[in-house]
Amino acid sequence: MTDSLTLIALFNKSADTAEVIDELHNLGIPDDKIVVITGVPYPEGALGRNREWLTLPYIVLAGAAAGLLFGLFLAVITPHLYRLDVGGHPPVSFPPAAVIIFVFTMMATIVSTFLGVLWEMNFPRFGAAPYHKLVTDGYLALILDIPMLLEDRVRQTLDTHHADHIGEPEWMTL
Amino acid sequence: MSEPAHLEHETPPSTPYDERLLLAERTDAEINQAVLQPMMRTGKGFWALVTILSLIVAWGMYAWGYLIYWGIGVTGKNRPVYWTLFITTFVFWVGISHAGTMISAVLRLLKADWRRPITRGAEAMTAFALIMAALYPLIHLGRVWKFYWMIPYPNNRFMWPNFQSPLMWDMVAIFTYLIASSLYLYLALIPDMAMARDHTDGWRYKLYRVLALGWRGTEGEWHKIHRALGIFSIVIIPIFLSVHSIVSWDFAVTIQARWHSTIFAPYFVIGAVYSGLSALATILVIVRRGMHLHEFLRSEHFNALGKLVLVAGMAWVYFWFAGFIVEWYGNEPVVRELIRQEVSGNLAPFFYLQMSANLIPIVLLIFKRVRTTPVLLLATTLLVNVGMFTERALIVIGSLQRNDIPFNWGTYRPTWVEISIVAMTFAGFALLYTVFSRIIPFVPVWEIKEGRLRYTMRRIGRLLVPTAAEID
Repeated sequence: MTDSLTLIALFNKSADTAEVIDELHNLGIPDDKIVVITGVPYPEGALGRNREWLTLPYIVLAGAAAGLLFGLFLAVITPHLYRLDVGGHPPVSFPPAAVIIFVFTMMATIVSTFLGVLWEMNFPRFGAAPYHKLVTDGYLALILDIPMLLEDRVRQTLDTHHADHIGEPEWMTL
Repeated sequence: MSEPAHLEHETPPSTPYDERLLLAERTDAEINQAVLQPMMRTGKGFWALVTILSLIVAWGMYAWGYLIYWGIGVTGKNRPVYWTLFITTFVFWVGISHAGTMISAVLRLLKADWRRPITRGAEAMTAFALIMAALYPLIHLGRVWKFYWMIPYPNNRFMWPNFQSPLMWDMVAIFTYLIASSLYLYLALIPDMAMARDHTDGWRYKLYRVLALGWRGTEGEWHKIHRALGIFSIVIIPIFLSVHSIVSWDFAVTIQARWHSTIFAPYFVIGAVYSGLSALATILVIVRRGMHLHEFLRSEHFNALGKLVLVAGMAWVYFWFAGFIVEWYGNEPVVRELIRQEVSGNLAPFFYLQMSANLIPIVLLIFKRVRTTPVLLLATTLLVNVGMFTERALIVIGSLQRNDIPFNWGTYRPTWVEISIVAMTFAGFALLYTVFSRIIPFVPVWEIKEGRLRYTMRRIGRLLVPTAAEID
């Protein structure tokens, strides 16, 4: 798109950032064209943005179910394939099976949580991306994808709210 | 990187209020530097420590090689004492690993703010302690190259692991806990890797860039990592409870006197928490001094941690007594002989060491001065772990010396091979931790900053107190 422009602006205060986001919405810039980057996790809603819907809990549940089934397979099916009678116990019994099923369910839950969150964040992502190193020094960065027609009004809005480093973002190799 | 002038040669603040105010007045950039700068400093003391620890590890590796070459007969193992110093130390390390989850997951769920600067140290301790613990089953095997027989895969020998065996549960549970604690440590580390990436160059930049996975800190990334850490915190708690329970069942499902006890699982878990929290306090005192992290690891943190150790210690005493009184009352011949051995026989020095080293700290930790004075806390928590190691030795080695066949009674003396291998894992743990503290930000910077965002200092009368914002 040649008629759009990417801008970055840095803010010192979260209140300024939230107000700017509200005004950008009023200018007709949708939420998905605004990216807020911070070095600290701000509470949800602090910057006036919609909560993102996550598939992570479903990935975790699927992982847990897979772990449970694998645990069942190991603890209940395989002893029949490789029968070993020990201590007068039947080849399959509840207490040992419960331990194995529990542990494998938990292992799969943990691994699926980790892989799920990486998948949700689209990690690893080592290519170039708009970024500013001052973010980890406490600044809040707004990265905007705006129509060129609105550039002057957006810059004026950012200026009014004490934004620093307004301009095109550097695409940094992360 | 050049260091801001006011960070150089900083003298530790004198009062808790000074400490808090110092951190509250720092900018984010200054906090980054206050954490990163100590990582970059590797003076003579650091290298001397690394050299000494490496030499001990090398000697232990030689001893392990000697054991592999000559066989398990070079240890003091005998009939009836078939589980010895290796299994004792294995249980000890699994116990130490429990503090990481306790501090990081439980306190995260409870939103205890004082956890923030100590979570990473606790999580790293868990991972390193488990690595040390995981070595022992391999060492104990003697023929370490046969280890793969424990792995379930179809094979033409028609051999399959016995999933009814607690030893198999043990392997699976410890492997699960090691995976879980390592992933938990790493997940919470990603934002700080990005911070370190932005402030370093050379090999550190390359390392941090890879570990940061392309993190920028968008709202979406924060939201997702928060949700994932929340799930981890919940799931890892039953894992941590199960691991030491399963370790206890290695003993309790046998019919060996003093092992066959229904209370063993909670007794092991609470003992693990007691020793793990104590080890964490010990390490934090040492790291605070070694890395000049006085403004992050403050007396209020030691005070809170000391209280947790105190509570865990009292719970340990309760469980110990609950087990002991039933065994004493039962008066079974072998148990009676074992108790006699402990109270007035060959095991008496160890029994009284165990009791005094576990009970004296509980009394000492009642005093705030002990909890908040690093050197006193260091001595007290070291004593706890002397007591807990002795307790494990009494359970594992002491109990095996007597059984239902007096003809088959025996004693155990460790050999240089076993002592060297045990020393290797202690030195290995310290070495991993020392190197870790210079490569990875020891204090979770983003969590500290998040805490500052949610807590402000408020003056009430003559006091400055932190007040929390009610946000989730």
